[in-house]
Amino acid sequence: MRRSAFRTEPLYLVFAALGGLVLLFIIAPLMSMFVNCSLPELAETLRDNEVRSSIWLTLWTSMAATVIFAIAAIPFSYLLARKDFPLKGLVTGIIDLPIVIPHSAAGIALFGVLSRSTLLGRAAEKMGFGFVGTSFGIMAAMAFVSIPYLVNAARDGFLAVDERLEKAALNLGAGPLRVFLTISVPLAWRPILSGLILMWARGMSEFGAVLIIAYRPMITPVLIYERFGAFGLKYARPVAVLFVSVCLVFFIMLRLLAKGEKVAER
Amino acid sequence: MNRIVKAISIFLVLIFLVAVAANRQFRIQDSKFKAGANELVIFHAGSLAVPFKQICEEFSALNADVRIVREAAGSRMCARKIADLNRRCDVIASADYTVIDTLLIPEYAEWNIKFASNEMVIVFRRDSRRANHINKNNWYDILLENDVAFGRSDPNADPCGYRAVLTVILAEKFYNRRGLAENILAKDRRYIRPKEVDLLALLEVGELDYIFIYRSVAEQHKLRMILLPDQINLKKAEFADFYKTAHVNVTGKKPGTFITKTGEPIVYGVTIPKNAPNHELALKFLTFLLDADKGGAILKRNGQTLMVPSTTDSFDRLPECLTKYALPVQQGGKG
Repeated sequence: MRRSAFRTEPLYLVFAALGGLVLLFIIAPLMSMFVNCSLPELAETLRDNEVRSSIWLTLWTSMAATVIFAIAAIPFSYLLARKDFPLKGLVTGIIDLPIVIPHSAAGIALFGVLSRSTLLGRAAEKMGFGFVGTSFGIMAAMAFVSIPYLVNAARDGFLAVDERLEKAALNLGAGPLRVFLTISVPLAWRPILSGLILMWARGMSEFGAVLIIAYRPMITPVLIYERFGAFGLKYARPVAVLFVSVCLVFFIMLRLLAKGEKVAER
Repeated sequence: MNRIVKAISIFLVLIFLVAVAANRQFRIQDSKFKAGANELVIFHAGSLAVPFKQICEEFSALNADVRIVREAAGSRMCARKIADLNRRCDVIASADYTVIDTLLIPEYAEWNIKFASNEMVIVFRRDSRRANHINKNNWYDILLENDVAFGRSDPNADPCGYRAVLTVILAEKFYNRRGLAENILAKDRRYIRPKEVDLLALLEVGELDYIFIYRSVAEQHKLRMILLPDQINLKKAEFADFYKTAHVNVTGKKPGTFITKTGEPIVYGVTIPKNAPNHELALKFLTFLLDADKGGAILKRNGQTLMVPSTTDSFDRLPECLTKYALPVQQGGKG
């Protein structure tokens, strides 16, 4: 039994106590936010149209960004898992770049390619949409900061798939695309799914990059900040509580879906 | 076992290094500033960023032992930091003196000095669309053109935001163009940002062609600008009666409630919060800021006029040494 081992070995008791401190550090602020928020306040916020539409906007833009970029990111992670090519180390480094650069800087960088004076921005304008101050801009900012989570998770997923199965299918005459779609992806679906969830969740929680590209329409993290600035803590808190709850519900649901295998995340 | 010992010792060395570094850091601060005894914390409006940086530099040059910490934010955000976040600061300077009156007095501050004026202008780049044609008589038509994009700041977060709205409303009356305000305010809402200086980046990268902003900011950044007629630029006290005819609703103390802002000349306000940690030093800073040859001269270089002494409702509660920078309200005449 694992549990009895904990009891007998004092070192593990110390470890457990340290772990408790870390957990407390995460849970205590969230708990205090929930406790400080009264039910009537919450009910009032729930009826607030601006809040509801912003939560909805946040959910779907992050979802859309995840799905759109997954189309390119999943095959790419397969390549990273299976093939060696020159400068592969550099490429994996570039993938992780969005994790380390400050997100306000990411927003500024995105400006350089998405504003109306750039090629991309002008092309988009010709087609009748734009990036700055639109849901497309929000998606771009969310995807930029969250794509590493998907690529890394999917790559680790593909690495865990036994290459011999793919080779066998290839030897039996299946084309590489068919092998990819019917062998590799189905076998790696759990890590891929948890990568998708992580990317989606990370996108929803993004503030800095989105704030710079699109202050309006307001995603919830921006709305919370705006409420704080315009009305104070008292009115920002219920929005935060509501959004955290919504995120938690979706997060737990999807996490349960992807359960059963060690989640490959970094 | 050996490896565990190694790991633990590396960990201990790291902790030791962090402790040494932190200790050194604290000691440097202590010896220089006696544990924050001479620290001056200033919250100020975004539009004051450039002049206040220079004023603080000159003030520090005269008072070598003083360390100044400045935080720029939308004026209402500055007040929120004090009222809601319980943040402590020594001086708060707002782009609208009424922010201090409505959000801080009487609970967090006692008095308010009106210290500077400003005016609304429209700025642009050399390569803004239609930059060669725009002037003070056709700007409203050009802003309404489809491929022209303009920005303004959030009326709920930033005085510059509701002042832009007031300017547009006054323009409708002044140029006698029915529906003008409604059309302009309905266009380009996606470019509304929390504070006016946030818009400068959008202008720089070419996303925006024009923005409504203060003249002082335009001059500090050496931007091209269209000067608007005094009847609509919210600068002149003699047009106060005309300014008064424009109204805009901004959000009140809670979501869904509104307060009405009436047009009036732009006046910046400054105060020392009640719980300022360093009240003496704050007074010293204000006497520097409000002196026409010192702070006033720097404001002037940055496109703003010092306007002390002006009348203030709270004259009776002013600290003794600041009374010469304000006037009591005359009977019957307010503001």
